Amino acid sequence: MAAFSSSQVTLNQSKPADGAGAPLITSERVNLFYGPAQALKDITLTIGERRVTAFIGPSGCGKSTFLRCFNRMNDLIDSVRITGSIKVGGQDIHSPDVDVIELRKRIGMVFQKSNPFPKSIYDNVAYGLKLHGMKAKSDLDTAVEQSLRGAALWDEVKDRLHSSALGLSGGQQQRLCIARAIAIKPEILLMDEPASALDPIATAKIEELILALKREFTIVIVTHNMQQAARISDHTAFFYLGELVEFDATAKIFTNPAKRQTEDYVTGRFG
Amino acid sequence: MGIHRGHQARPLEWLAEKFIFLVSLTAILMVFLIFVFVAREALPLVLGQMNSAAARPVIAAKEMDKLKPEELRTYLGLTATEFKQLDKEALQALMEVREEEAKEAPKDKDATLNTTEWRYLFQPHQWSDSRPEDRYVWQPIGRIHKYNLVPLIIGSLKTTAVALLFSVPLALAAALYVSQLASPTMKEWLKPAIELLSGVPSVVLGFFALMVLASFLQGAFGYQSRLNAFVAGIALGLAVIPVVFSIAEDALTSVPRAYTQAALALGASKWQAAWQIVLPAAAPGVFAAVVLGFGRAIGETMVVLMASGNASIMSFSLFDSTRSITATIAAELAEAVFGGHHYRILFLIGAMLFVVTFLTNLAGDLIMHRLKGRLEGKAK
Repeated sequence: MAAFSSSQVTLNQSKPADGAGAPLITSERVNLFYGPAQALKDITLTIGERRVTAFIGPSGCGKSTFLRCFNRMNDLIDSVRITGSIKVGGQDIHSPDVDVIELRKRIGMVFQKSNPFPKSIYDNVAYGLKLHGMKAKSDLDTAVEQSLRGAALWDEVKDRLHSSALGLSGGQQQRLCIARAIAIKPEILLMDEPASALDPIATAKIEELILALKREFTIVIVTHNMQQAARISDHTAFFYLGELVEFDATAKIFTNPAKRQTEDYVTGRFG
Repeated sequence: MGIHRGHQARPLEWLAEKFIFLVSLTAILMVFLIFVFVAREALPLVLGQMNSAAARPVIAAKEMDKLKPEELRTYLGLTATEFKQLDKEALQALMEVREEEAKEAPKDKDATLNTTEWRYLFQPHQWSDSRPEDRYVWQPIGRIHKYNLVPLIIGSLKTTAVALLFSVPLALAAALYVSQLASPTMKEWLKPAIELLSGVPSVVLGFFALMVLASFLQGAFGYQSRLNAFVAGIALGLAVIPVVFSIAEDALTSVPRAYTQAALALGASKWQAAWQIVLPAAAPGVFAAVVLGFGRAIGETMVVLMASGNASIMSFSLFDSTRSITATIAAELAEAVFGGHHYRILFLIGAMLFVVTFLTNLAGDLIMHRLKGRLEGKAK
């Protein structure tokens, strides 16, 4: 339990030669059922530390569902049943002594549709910090500025920190959500199609940001945009009908995939 | 066939639209007409044309011919149409009645006062037939008609305040629980159960308060008068709960799930997400629920009539019997002389109630828009 109760995150600095990163998330034979329907079938994969891992696949293939397993957001749906094991930093996240709140503090999430709270920009970023016990105004101010800078939003909003977040543009809102997520210093950042509702310029900014955040965070991103996966990710997993078809280095998936299905999908023959 | 055919293109849709527009217009018209009717009955009072003095100056019936028609009309307190319809004999008879009345009129100093004047309606007065001090008295029937409205206003505000203090926290907590925390099965049971409360007729609620609640609360708190503002307020609260609950629950449920999810993903507990994120985001709707609850509480009649003890005592204590504006109208209108000062006073307080509810709703609406604007980042 020690791993989840400490607020200070300890990162393993060692980097294997093959570029896969030290394994941080390992999933073994994960099956997920919505009532009687099976959404994930026997998923086994390992996600490396400080790498960007992209999940691709056609709609309904289970990639978002799988992503939401990592911070146990599927708990919110009553009919969901999960078998198999998911370990984060060696700790089984479904073990009964795991505190979901500590888990979610370690694993931040950015959603498909930007969802800033109807509060001020400042309060949006400060919310998670306050939630985890930061009280002093000066600490909050510093942390908020740091997070906004981290999300490349500071210069655009520094003069209106206390106006409503809903007054920002779509791209700014999404970067605010990223700032909010990184404010509590998670180890892992889950991103569920973070740029799918944005225009190309805002998308480019988010992608730039993801590449910058990679130095500090382990990022898992679900995307529909294959060019995006190719541009930003180190590893790519291709899902189809609830199964993990192929998981490999991004360059390999896009240039020389092992499976026929993967090739068809990445070349746009179906999907 | 051009594209500019206007309403001829779809005549049925056009007709339906106009029909619905007319219907909605009728609703506005009805509200307006009700107010006009109520206010019209109270108008002579507002214009100072009523005189409730028990002893008024008398002109002998024999001297009727010396008066000009206009003077005679004012003397008898008749409207122009009424005056036209009466012949000379009837007028003579009316004058004789006035003479008779004057003989029986009380002789003390208050008998000549017109108690429908504003200062007697709102300011205390030292009445000749009660304790020698300035008092606020509502005693419409009696030797001298005392129409002080302050005890009734205080009575209404007292019961309403108790009702809101009791019901709003409960209703909001229930709404928050049902919309955010309860499991779907729980929600399926709880929501209709609470909303069923609004189906309880207020006379039944009043009966329950009168027979059960009053004794229970007296036993629990040990105050003296069994029926009082506190009992009426709690019973009234039971009527207000479903109103506030229903609207607040809708407002809370319509807050996007994305907010809750974002909060949970940051490591908030369900309760923290509901309290810190969803409730503030639903503030305009929740506020509207409270305003509507206020309207229901101040307008409710039967519960207060039955459970408040119905004594128009001037007191700020919650544990004294009290009487509200609505209960007064309900209890007294039937026995007030049509067109008389008592009758008109009752319409005046009815109109006052109407204005208060209208202003509250208006203010509520303005504040709601403000809150909404602030949430959406439009206002500063």
